[in-house]
Amino acid sequence: VRLELDRDRCTGHGRCYTLAPEVFGSDDDGYGEVLVDGDVPTALEATARTAANNCPERAITVHD
Amino acid sequence: MADEDGSYGGDVMGAMDPESARHPQPVYKALRETVPVMAVEGVGHVLTRRAEIEEVFRDPQTFSSNMDAVDLSNVRPLIPLQIDPPEHKKYRKILDPLFAPKQVALLEPSVAKLANELIDAFVDRGECDFSQEFSIPLPSQVFLTILGLPLEDLSTFLKMKDGIIRPDHVVGKPRDHEDVVAYQREIADSIYAYFDRVLDEREVERRDDLLSRFLDAEVDGHSLSREEILDVCFLFLIAGLDTVSASLDCFYGYLTDHPEARQAIVDDPSIIPAVVEELLRWETPVSGVARVATVDTELGGCPIKAGENVMAVLGGANTDEAELPDSFEVRFDRDVNRHLAFGGGVHRCLGSHLARLELRVALREWHARIPEYALKPGAELLYTPSIRSLETFPMVFG
Repeated sequence: VRLELDRDRCTGHGRCYTLAPEVFGSDDDGYGEVLVDGDVPTALEATARTAANNCPERAITVHD
Repeated sequence: MADEDGSYGGDVMGAMDPESARHPQPVYKALRETVPVMAVEGVGHVLTRRAEIEEVFRDPQTFSSNMDAVDLSNVRPLIPLQIDPPEHKKYRKILDPLFAPKQVALLEPSVAKLANELIDAFVDRGECDFSQEFSIPLPSQVFLTILGLPLEDLSTFLKMKDGIIRPDHVVGKPRDHEDVVAYQREIADSIYAYFDRVLDEREVERRDDLLSRFLDAEVDGHSLSREEILDVCFLFLIAGLDTVSASLDCFYGYLTDHPEARQAIVDDPSIIPAVVEELLRWETPVSGVARVATVDTELGGCPIKAGENVMAVLGGANTDEAELPDSFEVRFDRDVNRHLAFGGGVHRCLGSHLARLELRVALREWHARIPEYALKPGAELLYTPSIRSLETFPMVFG
């Protein structure tokens, strides 16, 4: 799966990089960013989905 | 928390009896199921469903957070809360990095030290007033530390905060009484004067603190004017203190109600981050935030006229079964928790990462030293509406 983070929608709640620091990071302003280029390693898929589901702004899309 | 401010949406829940103020979730549910968009005289349209609240947060052009939404006797808009996009972004660009998790994490040792010093003062006594001796001073001391102000200014700080947020309590007269209005104005003036004086000092000599950083901050080649810095400071004072105090009051109110939850934290402190998120959701210490419609529009089929206020009841959104089917269960093992305790959209609470840090550290240090505690027999917890804080919380240990 691939991850897409909508920068216009993200308002910096920080849930994604708190819950899945292997997959999401924080920029200097505290807004989320996807750390993984291309496909997410299978072992991290579940945690990536959890992080996406926890976004209060629904700014993260998981592409299967 | 909730929003850059901490709410101040007015006392929509002002008519609540003590039981409802302590456990407001059934009130939110009843409103959601009967009048999810409710017109209330003097307050505006009260929203209790997640759907309409998200709609409001996602459309800051239509639902503005400007000065018409709340009046706190400030003479200029509070920055960034009362500034709408696109201008809002330039201020957040300066402020966001200062409150980003990476920056905030550096404060952890200071917060732990302050928490422990407060605990030192009462741990051997076997009891304390949790509000007066812990939840009220802790966030104010953290803020004094961040701003580079002496801890001796605590009482000045608390007086300014209370004078703005609850002048009616301080004066002992109704909110719209001329004495209360005059007192709030006087305090507002004293806040501008206090920070003006400190900024004069920092102009002469910079220090490693937030105020010094404001003086040197630049965005798009412009630095912040003195007035702009004062408008940020004013907001900090009313947003960063009461909200964390209220959160601690709500959390410990829940934990004294539920000894099994308290024991779960003692047994396994690694659950604390999840406890913080779930209790933020369930308790929603800042119960609502205000916006004002800029054009005629509608929400949930109800017409809203330009100039009318809407009050987003965050506690309603956070307990909405349409978002979370088992929303009335408090669980520390949730896979999904999209709570809006810090508001949402562009005005998402600037201090949310700091608030989370303070709450996590407070829970950790407290439970390591005082694992067993309870509400003092005979005492009753009387929560203020809107920002759900306590003036007194008698507690016994062991």
